[in-house]
Amino acid sequence: MLFKSIFRKAEPYLFLTPAFVILLLFLIFPLFWNVYISLHDVSLVNLLQGWTYVGWQNFLDLFEDSNFQTSLKVTLEFVAGSVALQFGIGLLISTLLNQKVRVSGVLLAIFIIPWTISAVIAAFSFKFMFDESFGILDYLFEKIGLPSVNWLSDPNIVIWSVVIANIWYGTPFTILFLTAGTLSINPTIYEAAVIDGTSKFKSFLHITLPLLKPFIVINLILITMWSVNFFDLQLVMTGGGPMFASTTASLYMYRQAFEFGLLSKGASVGLILVVINLVVAFIYVKLLRVR
Amino acid sequence: MNVKKIILICSIILVISLILLIGYGFKNPITAQKKQVTLTAILSEPKERWDILFNTAQQKLNEKHPNMDIKIDYTVLPYDATRTQLLTAMAGRTPIDLVSVDQTWLGEFAQGGFLSDLTDRAKSWGKEKDWYQTNLEGGKYNGKLYGIWAWTDIRAIWYWKDLLSKAGISPDSLKTWNGYIANAKQLNNVLKDQGIQGVHLVGASQSPDMWYPYLWMLGGEILKQKTGHPTKGTYWFPAFNSTAGIKALEFLKQQVNAGIRPQINHFWGEEFADRKFAVMLEGSWLLSAFPHEQWTNLAQKIGLLPMFPVPEIGRKSATMLGGWTLGIPETSQNKDLAWELLTTMVEPQVLTPMLQKEGYLPTQKPIGEGPYAAYLNSSIPYYKEMISMISIGHIRPNIPEYPQIAENIREAIDEVYYGIKDPKQALDEAAAKSSKVLGWVN
Repeated sequence: MLFKSIFRKAEPYLFLTPAFVILLLFLIFPLFWNVYISLHDVSLVNLLQGWTYVGWQNFLDLFEDSNFQTSLKVTLEFVAGSVALQFGIGLLISTLLNQKVRVSGVLLAIFIIPWTISAVIAAFSFKFMFDESFGILDYLFEKIGLPSVNWLSDPNIVIWSVVIANIWYGTPFTILFLTAGTLSINPTIYEAAVIDGTSKFKSFLHITLPLLKPFIVINLILITMWSVNFFDLQLVMTGGGPMFASTTASLYMYRQAFEFGLLSKGASVGLILVVINLVVAFIYVKLLRVR
Repeated sequence: MNVKKIILICSIILVISLILLIGYGFKNPITAQKKQVTLTAILSEPKERWDILFNTAQQKLNEKHPNMDIKIDYTVLPYDATRTQLLTAMAGRTPIDLVSVDQTWLGEFAQGGFLSDLTDRAKSWGKEKDWYQTNLEGGKYNGKLYGIWAWTDIRAIWYWKDLLSKAGISPDSLKTWNGYIANAKQLNNVLKDQGIQGVHLVGASQSPDMWYPYLWMLGGEILKQKTGHPTKGTYWFPAFNSTAGIKALEFLKQQVNAGIRPQINHFWGEEFADRKFAVMLEGSWLLSAFPHEQWTNLAQKIGLLPMFPVPEIGRKSATMLGGWTLGIPETSQNKDLAWELLTTMVEPQVLTPMLQKEGYLPTQKPIGEGPYAAYLNSSIPYYKEMISMISIGHIRPNIPEYPQIAENIREAIDEVYYGIKDPKQALDEAAAKSSKVLGWVN
């Protein structure tokens, strides 16, 4: 009797245990391990030996490093450009696809293709297209009489070339996500609006957008986090150059940890990125006041 | 189905299985007794070279050990991923028997305790004297041998004969700095309508590698030993910002001023093979950008000057030697067998066919100059000229801090390319950052 009563009380926790163990193993433990590494001096050279506790020194070193400061500025440009354009283009296309056109299903399938391609392959494709010596873009510019653009070698332009590649690669997710959101809106609401004489633009503004809000917030949070953490395109297309002009903080983290073997410095950048992601997510939720 | 039937079916299955097992045992009596050993390896692309080497080496190893069935399980990864994978293996203490290590990574992995000290094994082996001294030293860290430098590459001037001829340029005029720049302008003028650029200038992450030869030919060094280090007594100190370094970087600046555009994308010779450049300073791997069947007549189309341009005639040129060393991790559970595999792979009769197929250069004198040389000379275009460059070849430091120092030098080169700083200021700042990395300044 007693055993039964204890089991009944413990039952919900037992059901939660597998999920909690997975969370602990794959999220909480790595996060705390990362914190531990960031507070010690860990490099490739002393990886198998004792690690010295250095406190906040790794973080202080980072903020003194002009290349890291540059990388934060580049991250801001990359994320702002990518998110604004991915969201804007994605919303436009998903709205157009929702206009009950016969081919919308086929078009949706076509729009999804970039998202199914590996980021590295996409990066190589854009690297070749943007090449200033034999890339197709400058070739076409020349054919129509426009001056050639130093897509990857001009420090003022290079990050926008990577943003273009990221828009091509990432927008399909927004299209898919917002299309799913649009389809979840009850069509009778639109029918009622038509009977009331509402224009398509007004029903988009006053029906679609408000009802899509939860989808928009989640979409914005996800694409922002992905853009903050993403470095495949920059790594392959430019290696972060020239002059660190395309080194985002995530690429800086990768290079510190794996190219230079400075694991604790890499871990510190990783934690800063976690904080950035959390702050951005909080701001989105607050701004759009999602219940 | 009753119990009797089940027992009957089970008995029949059992008898058939026993007959098959006994029959297999008679057919393969030795295999059944052989000790199964699988050697694991993490290696860098391209895969073909390892396929060629392991194919022969595995066979030889099995012949040497008839009581063993030795298999080699190797993973071939892109350059960056190889380093990441080695790091992961090191952190996880994964048992691996053989690794390919870029010569500049050797110090990090040796200092970190990942690579085994091969000094004593090499002494018993007695083949060290066959290696070119520079290549032998490249496998050492702190006086101990951690890697066997298996093959190397050199960098030299490659040119399209017809394009130079069209521009009325003699290849010999590319030998000096002034001639190189004047001809670059001339080539650009003549060839720009065809979408061909005169000469190639690396602007990618490898830019320091193409600057070092100018530094070395002027008597400069990347690093030099200095006393008074706060913790290490005598240690390496940045020396690349010397007068030689500044003069070498000024030559790159002159190239940019002459309209030569630094190429941020580096396609390892493909851009030359595609005739996008008339002249290219590139490694010996450039040959692999041409199909193998074209190699016989390649010398009729493209030319090679076995040098980097020099400031004035009479000055000894220099080049950089790159390549891969083979090492045995401390985590290997088959160190003896791994060493046997390694030494078998670098045996001239095993290695030479791979060098011939891939166009790499040997690090051993018996292959470079000995009986195998004639074979390679007849099949690799400009082999003799490339081999002659080993004597003017230098290597990069393989200390753990080198990747960060190279990054500082790359930044300095970029700053000069983009006109942000002059060579002296850029190099001095890079040297200051590098001395911090080396622990001279807190």
